Amino acid sequence: MVRKSKKGSPKASIDRRAFLKSAAVGAAALAANPTTSRAQQIEARNAPPPPLPAEAEIGTPAKLDVLTETRSGSDFMVDVIKSLGIEYVCSNPGSSFRGLHESVINYGGNKNPEFITCCHEESSAAMAHGYAKIEGKPLAILAHGTVGLQHASMAIYNAWCDRVPIYIIVGNILDATKRIGAVEWSHSVQDAAVMVRDYVKWDDTPASLPHFAESAVRAYKIAMTPPTLPVLLVADAELQENPIPDNLAVHIPKLGQFTPPEGDSAAIAEAARMLVNAQNPVLLADRLGRTPAGMKNLVDLAEALQAPVISRPGRMNFPSRHPLNQTDRANALIREADVILGLEMSDFWGNVNSFRDQMRRTSETLIKPGTKLISINSDDLYTKSNYQDFDRFPEVDLAIAADGETTLPALTEAVKRLLTDDKRRAGEARGAQLAKVHQQTLARDREAAAVAWDASPISTARLCAELWNQIKDRDWSLVSTTPFISNWPQRLWNMDKHYHYIGTQGGYGIGYGAPSAVGAALANRKYGRLSVNIQCDGDLMYAPGVLWTAAHHQIPLLSVMHNNRGYHQEVMQVQIMADRRNRGIDRATIGTTITTPNIEYAKLAQSMGMYGEGPITDPKDLGPALKRALEVVNRGEPAVVDVLTQPR
Amino acid sequence: MQRNQYVGVGLKSAALLFCFLGAHFPAHAQSRPQNASAGNAQKGKDAFATHMCATCHGPEGQGAVGPALAPPPRALPDFTRYVRQPAGKMPPFTPQAVSDTDLADIYAFLQSANPAPPSNLSSLTGNAQNGGRIYVADGCYQCHGRVGQGSQSTAAPRIGPPALTIDAFARYIHAPTGNMPPYTNKVVSDQDVADIYAFLKSLPPAPAAKDIPLLNQ
Repeated sequence: MVRKSKKGSPKASIDRRAFLKSAAVGAAALAANPTTSRAQQIEARNAPPPPLPAEAEIGTPAKLDVLTETRSGSDFMVDVIKSLGIEYVCSNPGSSFRGLHESVINYGGNKNPEFITCCHEESSAAMAHGYAKIEGKPLAILAHGTVGLQHASMAIYNAWCDRVPIYIIVGNILDATKRIGAVEWSHSVQDAAVMVRDYVKWDDTPASLPHFAESAVRAYKIAMTPPTLPVLLVADAELQENPIPDNLAVHIPKLGQFTPPEGDSAAIAEAARMLVNAQNPVLLADRLGRTPAGMKNLVDLAEALQAPVISRPGRMNFPSRHPLNQTDRANALIREADVILGLEMSDFWGNVNSFRDQMRRTSETLIKPGTKLISINSDDLYTKSNYQDFDRFPEVDLAIAADGETTLPALTEAVKRLLTDDKRRAGEARGAQLAKVHQQTLARDREAAAVAWDASPISTARLCAELWNQIKDRDWSLVSTTPFISNWPQRLWNMDKHYHYIGTQGGYGIGYGAPSAVGAALANRKYGRLSVNIQCDGDLMYAPGVLWTAAHHQIPLLSVMHNNRGYHQEVMQVQIMADRRNRGIDRATIGTTITTPNIEYAKLAQSMGMYGEGPITDPKDLGPALKRALEVVNRGEPAVVDVLTQPR
Repeated sequence: MQRNQYVGVGLKSAALLFCFLGAHFPAHAQSRPQNASAGNAQKGKDAFATHMCATCHGPEGQGAVGPALAPPPRALPDFTRYVRQPAGKMPPFTPQAVSDTDLADIYAFLQSANPAPPSNLSSLTGNAQNGGRIYVADGCYQCHGRVGQGSQSTAAPRIGPPALTIDAFARYIHAPTGNMPPYTNKVVSDQDVADIYAFLKSLPPAPAAKDIPLLNQ
């Protein structure tokens, strides 16, 4: 139908909604009639549009009614997305971005980006989170600007807290006169991004296609400049669905090269002086390993200084079996240190202080008087107010606002320039002692792993040792977190590649594990890497549909259930309260456990079309079960092995 | 939906690896260790000061920043082992830094500094089977694991078998100095403690890691 101007004159452009709007006029009239009952109104709202008059369908229109188009706004949007090198769009389908959806799969050939069907927008966002940690760049998610973004919001918050780029595009119908019926009104919003504005780095609502192109490229650049963070664009449905006007010049701006922020040279020189002159320097790293360069650069610095490294679980920062890896001795080292360098620390204060969670919450410093703290952190470049993920203020002596891994080479060179022969000899002696301690720690960890070796439920140490035995000779990638399993992989496995570990959730929002693992496995697929996921049971049940996504898109992934049949963290939290109130803990399982009935995760996996086995209760059965599942994964499919485990 | 990932506070605070059951000496331990030290208490007092133990534990081992050590809550071999390889935030002391003889002297000093009052716990006979039941029912396993193996995730140390004397064990349960929630006598009676202690003592020794091929690769 031809869009009418106010005076009723024909307008050259196509109005995609006018056709349906006229069809719905009957229902609208019903709703407007004051004598119509509420029930009738509801019925009318839910009813399908009444049929068009016969002449509208078979008759000859009075004027030519253009019903098709050859090149729409969303085609151009896909061109823009392709120009950014985005490989996938993860999405649960929705009408507010139907134009973009169709352009991706048809105009764009469903390749770069490929549409990945998700069963929940939280899965879409968390998949993007996991993908970016492996690939170092964002994939896109598509969602309704209202109900879809609401679903996705927690996963976006996790990515925000984890400093991970996600490229979010949401559909909306801003022009109220173009909305049809209750669904589109309910799915429209004045300001779609406001809901997540506290935890995206930048957002925009483009009003034209040139505006979309410019903002899309700008958003990518902002997302990828440390601190890397989620960004959001609103793709208005009218812009998506209407043809590109013939007289409109559309242009995709050049992204160009852009470099991450490096620390000030004078500050780097000062940091090097402090580190070289220290008797007991300590290197603390958390979200440092943004790319493969992060680990290499930290190894270079640690070896130049012969300083111990404490690698926090935010990223894969340092090889697990490097002799300078002293993570298990963190507290003792921090107490002895005279200079501590914190690299992309999410909570520097928490690493140099202890906190006691009793009736009276108390804290005390771990460092000795005079200990100097140096920080290199891109968080110092960008902070927001409302959500408190910036943690407690650390009293740092020298704060360098810059990207950690980018700044390290200059720092290492500065350190090397300052090293005298005496300093070098002292460092070598320190390094030799640390190497000895590292071996002792490894031996102690292995003894600790042996303690519940034959226990049932199966210990998390046994689970990790059995898994390591199956994967150690492969090119593997652990695509799940480790703090819930006592960090056994870091303690028992030889981890020395960037993709050997993807870090934690960021915001500790549960439901991240399964979809982020699938997203990371999606990134690993093209490299032929074996992705393994130690999957918490409670986490999986937030949105288990992501298993179907893995099966449907043939994403090879071995998921081994850490099935302790509970929200175990919360069991302990309620236990703490019950003990504090002296009421006994026999009811602490109410509301915190996942039993009666027990969930059959193997059957759940099978129902999604993938291989499932278990529950495995006897540790002797675990190795063979893992081997069988890996045979399936080797064929390019996902598999689940359910293992009944000890709590932690 | 947003959850604390770790008990009490996030484990990103390294400081949490401290003060759970058995990880540290209880602040008000008043039990006599089960062994006697052959050390010299007077020399031990000097060594306690020389090696700066008093800085954290107070000049008489009464506790300050660090927990009380007088009387020592562990038998001498465990005491020595802990000093060499502390599980909490105490720095390790090598034999080069503090000799075994010095430690025996320090131990003797700590025993003499604050003799323990009599306790009826050691007179109770523990029922290991019932202790195993209570261990699960009272949720000890939630942090310490089914066989007391401990967990880095929960910052709970290994307690199977227990390194503490039964008196120190009981006192820590009732009034922990770290993050462990307190279990009062109302919740865990002396007999319950004796039973749990017997259960933990009854656990078979763990296999040696060197005998497990999967732990040597």
